Amino acid sequence: MRRTLRTTTTALVVTGALIGVAGCSAAGEESDDQTLTVSYIRTDAFTALDTLFQTVKTEFEDANPGVTVELQPVSAPDEDYKTRLALSHRSAETAPDVFYQDTTTIRADAEAGYLLALDDYLAEWEDWGQFSEAARTAGLGTDGSTYAVSLGTDTRALWYSIPVLEAAGIPTPWEPETWQDVLDMAEAVQTSDPEAVPFMLYSGTGTGEGSNMQGFYQLLYGTELGGDALFDSESGKWVVGSEGFVDALEFVDTVYSEGYSLPADQALDPNVWQSVFGELFPEGRLGATIEGSYTPSFWVEGGSFEWPEYADQMGATAFPTKNGDGEGVSMSGGWTLAVGAASEIPDLAFEFLTMALSKENSLSYVTENSQIAVRADVAAEPSYLESNPFVGAVTELVEITNFRPATSDYNQISAAVQNATEAVMTGQSTPEEAAAAYDRDVESIVGADGIIER
Amino acid sequence: MTAAVARAPRPVSVASPRRSVSRGLSTAALVLVTAAFLLPLAWLLLAAFDARATYETRLPQELSLDNFAAVLTPQTTFVPLGNSLLLSTATAAITVLVALLAAYPLSRYRSRFHRGVMYGVLFGTCLPITAIMVPVYSLFVVLDLLDSMPGTILFLVASSLPMAVFMTKSFMDAVPVTLEEAAWIDGASAMRALRMIVVPLMRPGIAVVFVFVFLQAWGNFFVPFVLLYSPSKQPAATSIYTFFGQFGSIAYGQLAAFSLLYSLPVVILYILASRLIGGSFALAGSVKG
Amino acid sequence: MPLLPALLLLAVFLLGPIVWSIVGSLTNATLTGASATSPDWVGLANYERLLADPDFPLSLWLTVVFTVLSAVVGQNVLGFLVAFAMTRADRRVATIASGAVIGAWVLPEIVAAFVAYAFFSRDGTLNQLLAVIGLEGDNWLFTVPMLTIVLANVWRGTAFSMLVYRAALSEVPPELTEAAQIDGANGWQRLVRVTVPLLRGTIATNLMLVTLQTLSVFTLIYVMTAGGPGNASATLPVYAYQEAFRFGSIAFGTAIATVMLVIGAVFSIVYIRILNRAEADR
Repeated sequence: MRRTLRTTTTALVVTGALIGVAGCSAAGEESDDQTLTVSYIRTDAFTALDTLFQTVKTEFEDANPGVTVELQPVSAPDEDYKTRLALSHRSAETAPDVFYQDTTTIRADAEAGYLLALDDYLAEWEDWGQFSEAARTAGLGTDGSTYAVSLGTDTRALWYSIPVLEAAGIPTPWEPETWQDVLDMAEAVQTSDPEAVPFMLYSGTGTGEGSNMQGFYQLLYGTELGGDALFDSESGKWVVGSEGFVDALEFVDTVYSEGYSLPADQALDPNVWQSVFGELFPEGRLGATIEGSYTPSFWVEGGSFEWPEYADQMGATAFPTKNGDGEGVSMSGGWTLAVGAASEIPDLAFEFLTMALSKENSLSYVTENSQIAVRADVAAEPSYLESNPFVGAVTELVEITNFRPATSDYNQISAAVQNATEAVMTGQSTPEEAAAAYDRDVESIVGADGIIER
Repeated sequence: MTAAVARAPRPVSVASPRRSVSRGLSTAALVLVTAAFLLPLAWLLLAAFDARATYETRLPQELSLDNFAAVLTPQTTFVPLGNSLLLSTATAAITVLVALLAAYPLSRYRSRFHRGVMYGVLFGTCLPITAIMVPVYSLFVVLDLLDSMPGTILFLVASSLPMAVFMTKSFMDAVPVTLEEAAWIDGASAMRALRMIVVPLMRPGIAVVFVFVFLQAWGNFFVPFVLLYSPSKQPAATSIYTFFGQFGSIAYGQLAAFSLLYSLPVVILYILASRLIGGSFALAGSVKG
Repeated sequence: MPLLPALLLLAVFLLGPIVWSIVGSLTNATLTGASATSPDWVGLANYERLLADPDFPLSLWLTVVFTVLSAVVGQNVLGFLVAFAMTRADRRVATIASGAVIGAWVLPEIVAAFVAYAFFSRDGTLNQLLAVIGLEGDNWLFTVPMLTIVLANVWRGTAFSMLVYRAALSEVPPELTEAAQIDGANGWQRLVRVTVPLLRGTIATNLMLVTLQTLSVFTLIYVMTAGGPGNASATLPVYAYQEAFRFGSIAFGTAIATVMLVIGAVFSIVYIRILNRAEADR
């Protein structure tokens, strides 16, 4: 029996030792924990941030001997990156020290206690005064503290191919005033070149939040309720049952059923934007699409899909409202850098953040990635203003732009919107059915108190 | 034989062409099955050696090892494969050890308690592991085991344990008790009998269990996907996903090359195992209950 | 107490999550937001939401379709037929066929999923073959997502059933089928009247095992269609994953997981009964 006991004990010790190892290695790391982890997105088509962090890593390690910066790039679409980041926040072991954070998730993540409040640090950072008001607001949590610092912002415009439109008999510069003008253009292009894609409209869950920003919201915010079409700012409630929501879905339905856009199966590929930038526009096979102000970054020298002729062949204008009210619609978002609440070296993490967002590094990042600068000193730099021919046009859109409601349940609502557009584009639901399903989803997410019938 | 001929309504020679017809049909069917099962793999093999591969299956314009050269870096291949090896070996070794210890009393002593444990084990073999990944994630948050290699290994052990205990017990049941009884009379403890007599006699069975668990751990995607985060800890199953992204990025050739490198070890292991111990038969035999 | 390590591991890592699943489904835990770190009890609210959600019956139905078509019909029947053909076919062909079938099974699941994705994709092998015989292909993953994942799962999983049946067939005494042959039964009759009844126990066991394995298939579907388009191929595991992690509703995803556990438990009980009966028959 004693032998039995010993063998069993051995087995238990082996098992126990393994669990113990977990604790030990964690404890061991703590004592000389001078590793700073940085989590962000790097894909074949998005390398600007990787370039930035590689530079900052060297700079930072030189300035802080003994500290190693561990870059943890994730090659995934935005939505997958956000999911993995949220999952990793749940444990101090896995939470990165500094990370790339979408503005829409700041409030939710701050409420969950994943983000470090930066107020005390920012108060002592002299550059903070350079950041625009909008950029400062974007970093706020529900409690009024600042949790993230903006890397840059963006606007959305209607980008069109001058040769394709002219071949269809549409004079350029093209300035559509209503949705009907856009549909007329699509029809003209379809007639003149049946092989071309007249109007690509991002939609559905494949392209994630991009479907909303570069698609549905551009429509919704141009309906009767305008900036309050999604979220009623006065009551602080989500809008359900609105006519505008159905109208916008009907536009999606028209675009897909008339064959103006890429077929739904291709439009649902998360990488479809790569073929928009890399093939369709450069090859003269696409009339127009809604895309971000960062569009030129793919075509400039050193971009993922170099296309020097874009400066002459592309045009950009504001996307029109439904009936031509106002000067058009644009959406703004942007990403930030934040520090993890669980970071054991918050001082170093903030130092890294400020290095990445210094004037010099910001300038090269916003130029390479065609972002709209949020630092006044960067925005005034000639090299920024001249970085591509569209800087002026897309920066003007800041005047008419909209921001998404920054509530903590926004991301779930966004997913519900994506589901609605996907149901319509694939023909699984009519616009009315999809809108009704959306209303149900919203109510189950925010409760009956959180919605308002308009 | 003559009796059979006498009883048969027709001469037995008729059966011969009949048998060869059925043999021909069976062979033809299997050729068809083989083609259907190998067809999807053609893309994998061809694309890996095609520097400009797409999702199309085609002969490479020139055979190229560029894809392999591109992925054979520590970051892309060696670290993830090393992690896979660590994860699978540790999981298989611990599982076999724990299963042997557990199977011995279950095989040798009958009691209500053991019967209950056996029901529990059977129940465990039926548990859909993907069903519990969401709660497992929450549990690991509380236990502070996220991104922990040992934690992930122990979960993999626990999830393969029911099947392993079940298999080990069936192999052990086949070892006659009489040999141990002699040892007991000589004053050997149960554990000594297990180590000196039972284990050596059921080596092939142990190997089957080891290989079975190893293969499962090597190929598992969902468990490390939910539980491991640092790039330095990711096994090949999840690194392939984070490097190439969902639906692959444009580097189809590299994806195919890496897939081959990642699959090769288990294919070789499987072939070796089935050569050495008639693995497939033993494996299925122990499963069919 | 040599049982202790096993019991300990099972208690912590299998029983733990099961209990956790039931408990967690009664809260409003989320991945982010205020209820991430301090969830509240909400009673059966998640189950009420589940019953009201039209996606749930759809997902349940898709799970049934996927399981019945790919496991019960596909893997099980094909596995049996292949094993049966092997007993009479040319030996070398049988060996090669067995290697081909097992090959798809031994591949790591994510590799198998990528391969299946490539096969069915717009530019993939299937459409190339169709083009050869003059048919126009389609984007099958989009137009018939369920069919593609069913076929992929048959391709991936048939080996298991084949191995089980090959082992069982090798134990059928040849005298029995020979006797039937002499009695004038043709091949099909011998199969249906002699072989299949003899293998009743094995068939039942195999059906249970492949059903349970198929119920929990995640990676294949996740990589091939991610449950889409829309939710046209979101079986329960994918649905649970999407709700819990992608949409951040951990508690709701946990409630779906609990439903899966109940389904698994029902199958297990049936399975154990079958085993017990088989033992009693012996």
